Amino acid sequence: MTTPEHMVALQDVRKQFEEKKVLDDLSLTVEGRERLVIMGQSGSGKSTILRLILGTLRPNSGSVFFKEFEITRLPRRKLQEVRRHIGMVYQYSALLSSRSVRDNVALPLEELTDKSRDEIDKIVDEKLELVGMEDSKDLLPEELSGGMKKRVALARALMLEPELLLLDEPSAGLDPVIASVINELIISLSEKSKVTSITVTHEMESAFRIATRMAMLYQGKIIEEAEPDEFKQSKNPVVAQFLSGSTEGPILEGSLDAITKK
Amino acid sequence: MADAQPPPVLVAQGIGHISRNFLREVGGVFWFIVNTFQETLERIQQGRVPFRATSFFRHSQRAGVDSVPLVGLVSFFLGLTMALLTGYQLQRFGTERLIPGLVAIGFTRELGPLLTGIMVAARIGAAFTAELGTMQVSEEVEAIESMGIGPLRFLVAPRMLALVLLMPCLSTASNIAAIFATSLICKAYFSIAFPYFLDLVKDSLLIRDIVTGIFKSFLFGLLIAAIACYRGLTVKGGAAGVGSSTTSSVVTAITTVIGFDTLYNVIYTTFYPI
Repeated sequence: MTTPEHMVALQDVRKQFEEKKVLDDLSLTVEGRERLVIMGQSGSGKSTILRLILGTLRPNSGSVFFKEFEITRLPRRKLQEVRRHIGMVYQYSALLSSRSVRDNVALPLEELTDKSRDEIDKIVDEKLELVGMEDSKDLLPEELSGGMKKRVALARALMLEPELLLLDEPSAGLDPVIASVINELIISLSEKSKVTSITVTHEMESAFRIATRMAMLYQGKIIEEAEPDEFKQSKNPVVAQFLSGSTEGPILEGSLDAITKK
Repeated sequence: MADAQPPPVLVAQGIGHISRNFLREVGGVFWFIVNTFQETLERIQQGRVPFRATSFFRHSQRAGVDSVPLVGLVSFFLGLTMALLTGYQLQRFGTERLIPGLVAIGFTRELGPLLTGIMVAARIGAAFTAELGTMQVSEEVEAIESMGIGPLRFLVAPRMLALVLLMPCLSTASNIAAIFATSLICKAYFSIAFPYFLDLVKDSLLIRDIVTGIFKSFLFGLLIAAIACYRGLTVKGGAAGVGSSTTSSVVTAITTVIGFDTLYNVIYTTFYPI
């Protein structure tokens, strides 16, 4: 079954790291221009979903589609081409530590297009301005704070004008103002440039601000999928506990007993 | 249960385990080289440069030019020692004039490439592994891949090319340093003047010796770069993983260089007996 009508589709995906089952027959679809936010506990496999979509990880079974391309079956060369339409912001930014901010952001254009240096510089300036980092062009990543790195990583992800943006904890470690700026940027990208985005986060505030749809990942499955308002009202005990941050509920059941016993 | 098995089974199991791991590694490095070539050629077919000239020159500078003092110095000392030791033995038979030829042939064919290989594996192989390993651990390699850039042609190809092209130059530097050292010993201890020394070297050295040495150097360069980069890109387990991979890279590269040298000599002497 191919699904060209969806932007992204995961079908019965199972992913296991040695003994640990991370995703268990997970299915998920994302439509064009949607802003999906995936929530879940740390280590629940949220980032794994993003890596499966990028094809840097392969599932043990099941298939992953990006538009009409089945990521899991693409030959390397085609996969490289498809990846140019996807921008990824890693949780720890993953900037190349030996290159300056300018060179990091310019890298995709330098390597994958025939644009001249002047053209590239213009686009670099434009993207760095979007994330408010135009003054740090000549700094090395080690001279930046975690939040600044993340903004540079976002600028880099936007360089090739991606159709799909994957964001791994984009607002973690940012101050509230910058976090809001990044949120607004993600929203405006989808509204103005028709960019679809999949965001993985714990931060409730930015999750509800960004999302047009939310999904909750628990024990390898999507247990709830709804629009933000509906999601807030969810009757699912796991979702309710997660949103309230309460210690009472099915998540980590028993660990509180262990603490009180001590 | 494993501990209930009789010793012969355990020994066989151990040997099987070690051989399997060994073959897996050999296969891993082999396909690593093939894939790097493939990715680089694909890129050239698309009519684009596979990597930037600056990147290649930076690695050449580091691996090649900056290694000259070390390689030169070590070869110089070894040349001195070799000339002295063989000189006193040959003197007993009154054949000191064989020293220049002995050292010249020994170095151009064998010791030059081998010594250079060992030193480059320790100096540059370790650096390549640590560098790529750190990039791997901090997700930089994955980020490069996720942009649609081939990490093999972007990161590995310039390093490999730099080492393959620079190794013969370094072995030549090593040969020259050793022969120069020999000429000093010959002059000081065995009364062989420089012009006569040069004639003796020219008489004994064959083109075949030089070509063999150069060819070996190319091969060693490829092996060292491939092993170092392969170890770097397959690092697992954070900072400790980078450390153990770097050690393993140097050990593997040195062992492989010596092993291939022996293999090469066996094949060579079988087909071209001297």
